[in-house]
Amino acid sequence: MTLSFPSPEFDDAVAAVCHGSATEAEMRALNVLLRSDPSARDEYLMRVELHTRLASDRDLFSQAADAAAGCRLPGISPDDRRNIFSLNPAVPATRRKLVQALALAACLMFLAGGVWTLWFRRSATRNGATSSAVAMLTRAVDARWGGKSAPLRVGSALGPGWLRLESGLAQVVFYSGARLVIEGPAELRLVSPHEAICPIGRLLAEVPEPARGFRLGTDHVNVVDLGTSFAIDASHGRTEVHVFKGKVELLPGTRARQSLSESEAAVVQGNAPPRLMAASAAAFTSMFEFQQRSLASAAFRYEQWQFANAQINQDPSLVVHLDFENLSGTDWTLRNAAEKNRSVQSATMVGCVRAEGRWREKQALEFQSVNDRARMAVPGDFDALTLSAWVCVKGLDRKFNSLFMCDGFEPGTIHWLIRNDGVLGLTVVGPGPGKFQILASPPVLTLDELGRWLHLAVVLDGRSRQVVHYVNGDPVSRQALKLGPPFRLGSAELGNWNPRTGPDPTPFLIRNLSGSFDEFRLFSRALSDAEVRELYAKGKP
Amino acid sequence: MSADSTHRFGNSSAAQQQFLSLFLRSEQEIFRYVAALVPNTTDAEDIVQQTALALWEKFDAYDPALPFTPWACRFARNKAHQWIERRQRWQALLALGLAEELAQRRQELQPEFELRLKHLEGCLGKLPQGQRSLVEGYYYERAGIETLAERSGRTAAATYKMLQRIRHTLQLCVEGQARPEVP
Repeated sequence: MTLSFPSPEFDDAVAAVCHGSATEAEMRALNVLLRSDPSARDEYLMRVELHTRLASDRDLFSQAADAAAGCRLPGISPDDRRNIFSLNPAVPATRRKLVQALALAACLMFLAGGVWTLWFRRSATRNGATSSAVAMLTRAVDARWGGKSAPLRVGSALGPGWLRLESGLAQVVFYSGARLVIEGPAELRLVSPHEAICPIGRLLAEVPEPARGFRLGTDHVNVVDLGTSFAIDASHGRTEVHVFKGKVELLPGTRARQSLSESEAAVVQGNAPPRLMAASAAAFTSMFEFQQRSLASAAFRYEQWQFANAQINQDPSLVVHLDFENLSGTDWTLRNAAEKNRSVQSATMVGCVRAEGRWREKQALEFQSVNDRARMAVPGDFDALTLSAWVCVKGLDRKFNSLFMCDGFEPGTIHWLIRNDGVLGLTVVGPGPGKFQILASPPVLTLDELGRWLHLAVVLDGRSRQVVHYVNGDPVSRQALKLGPPFRLGSAELGNWNPRTGPDPTPFLIRNLSGSFDEFRLFSRALSDAEVRELYAKGKP
Repeated sequence: MSADSTHRFGNSSAAQQQFLSLFLRSEQEIFRYVAALVPNTTDAEDIVQQTALALWEKFDAYDPALPFTPWACRFARNKAHQWIERRQRWQALLALGLAEELAQRRQELQPEFELRLKHLEGCLGKLPQGQRSLVEGYYYERAGIETLAERSGRTAAATYKMLQRIRHTLQLCVEGQARPEVP
């Protein structure tokens, strides 16, 4: 048997060596080839190295480990968690064997303790680094927070863990959409976007349709929401559950589940069966008022934004305005709301899902998968451009996360993006092949900003030859532009990029955004700092 | 294991702790060094295990001022050679100086490998779910090929082939990522 390189036989032989299934003839043939052909040898080493990494770098599969740990967590108290981690089977086989071998050799079983400790410490660090926020603090009145944690401000992203509200009122919105108003003194443990535990305190929960199935646990009972508004008053001795709208399901300890409908309430105490009574909204007046006040102020902001829009839509330099209002499940068209300039009739959405925007009345378009995009064609040549968007970024999954990108790398086109390190970038493509300029801000988006509505804008001014990036109305970088007009956009996409490089785009060309847009504007002129600030001020949630 | 080392093992938990912490820190490196010669995971792990015992026996001779990994890799090299000598198939693969050449060349290529393989996690994330669970099953869970074949409804041969294809996809991906890209 002889092998040549490159060849399918070579591929199979290398794979067989990795799997331990190669025959002696295959191995002999490989020996001859690898000794005579340096490129085959290097390729062999690369493949073996990749295989070896997969087999030895446990961190590569941190998601798998987290999923394995995560799926066992619900319903288990924090004290039990430690045990779960140390019983986690995610210990490399080598290490298990090593422990056995060393322990056996010296009859010292306690060695294992040292190894477990080391392993536990490693996995704990890793879990800490990858944990992500599950909710956001959206509103607080006279809130005093307990515990050692840094003072919480409205807009903070909240990771899994304890919130201790000593007094006052606060609203927490989970990423699933569930909203809780809590009244101090209260203790709330955020578990996931779909689950929280409240051993002590009073809270009012409002769970919209997409968050159905939201779980709230106390010492005595788990409440599974079925699309409702309900309240809980929990202490260590007893839990009251009041349902104001819809239906919930009670899972009291070891007893059978029981459903609770509108206007019903139940008291769960010790091991006794739940005692039914009528729901009392009066007991939760302060929280209802708080909720209404916050709704009223949000509704006011939304109206103010609509009013401002009517004016801005009259601006002759406004080429595109997508407000993502009136999205329907069947229509793939996004209407351009710019009134004085009709060169772009509409944009087309591909994939994407409807989501809630800056206000609960406001719709947004969420980009999740690698295929999601909103496409448009913008004809014409421009001396200057301003792009403005309200976005809620969920994560910077890609090296380049597209905000607005023209297809390919055509002369005069632009790519507006967020880099995975939080840098805002505008790439301007020049006339010759390989000519382009990257105008990048410092890293301005931190983890803190993820999950919040942000106003991002960039001004590309061909006359004064400068590019300015803005975050929430403030300029964050101002740079000289070396490439002059005309700028052309042509076919372009929000939230994704069409590389136009043939039928088989390799994986590194994927630049989809993970997050939502609830407004996009394109102007054919350079807006001033003051104008950008006003766009932000008129639209801030 | 000698009576002397058993004695020391029993009395000195500080040495134990020191050895374990050094060894665990170097374990991946040692495994990769061995696996460059004997890529089959189970066999490579056996060799690493024998290396660990040899290292512990000779831990007295280790000079803490010197880095642990190169010292350990010398033991790993000897253990690997002893292991290969007893197996005709592997001898056929690594005979006539190829073992030495592979170890040497691997060291030269290390920076290049690092450059590419730092993208491995990202590339794993891009695999379709079915492929990802197969990779996880084989490399992370260390499930046997029959188990994996049964889970996916494929034959064992098809499962091996699938793993080969997935590694190919991952290799293309990490190599693509390592090339600089215009934003």
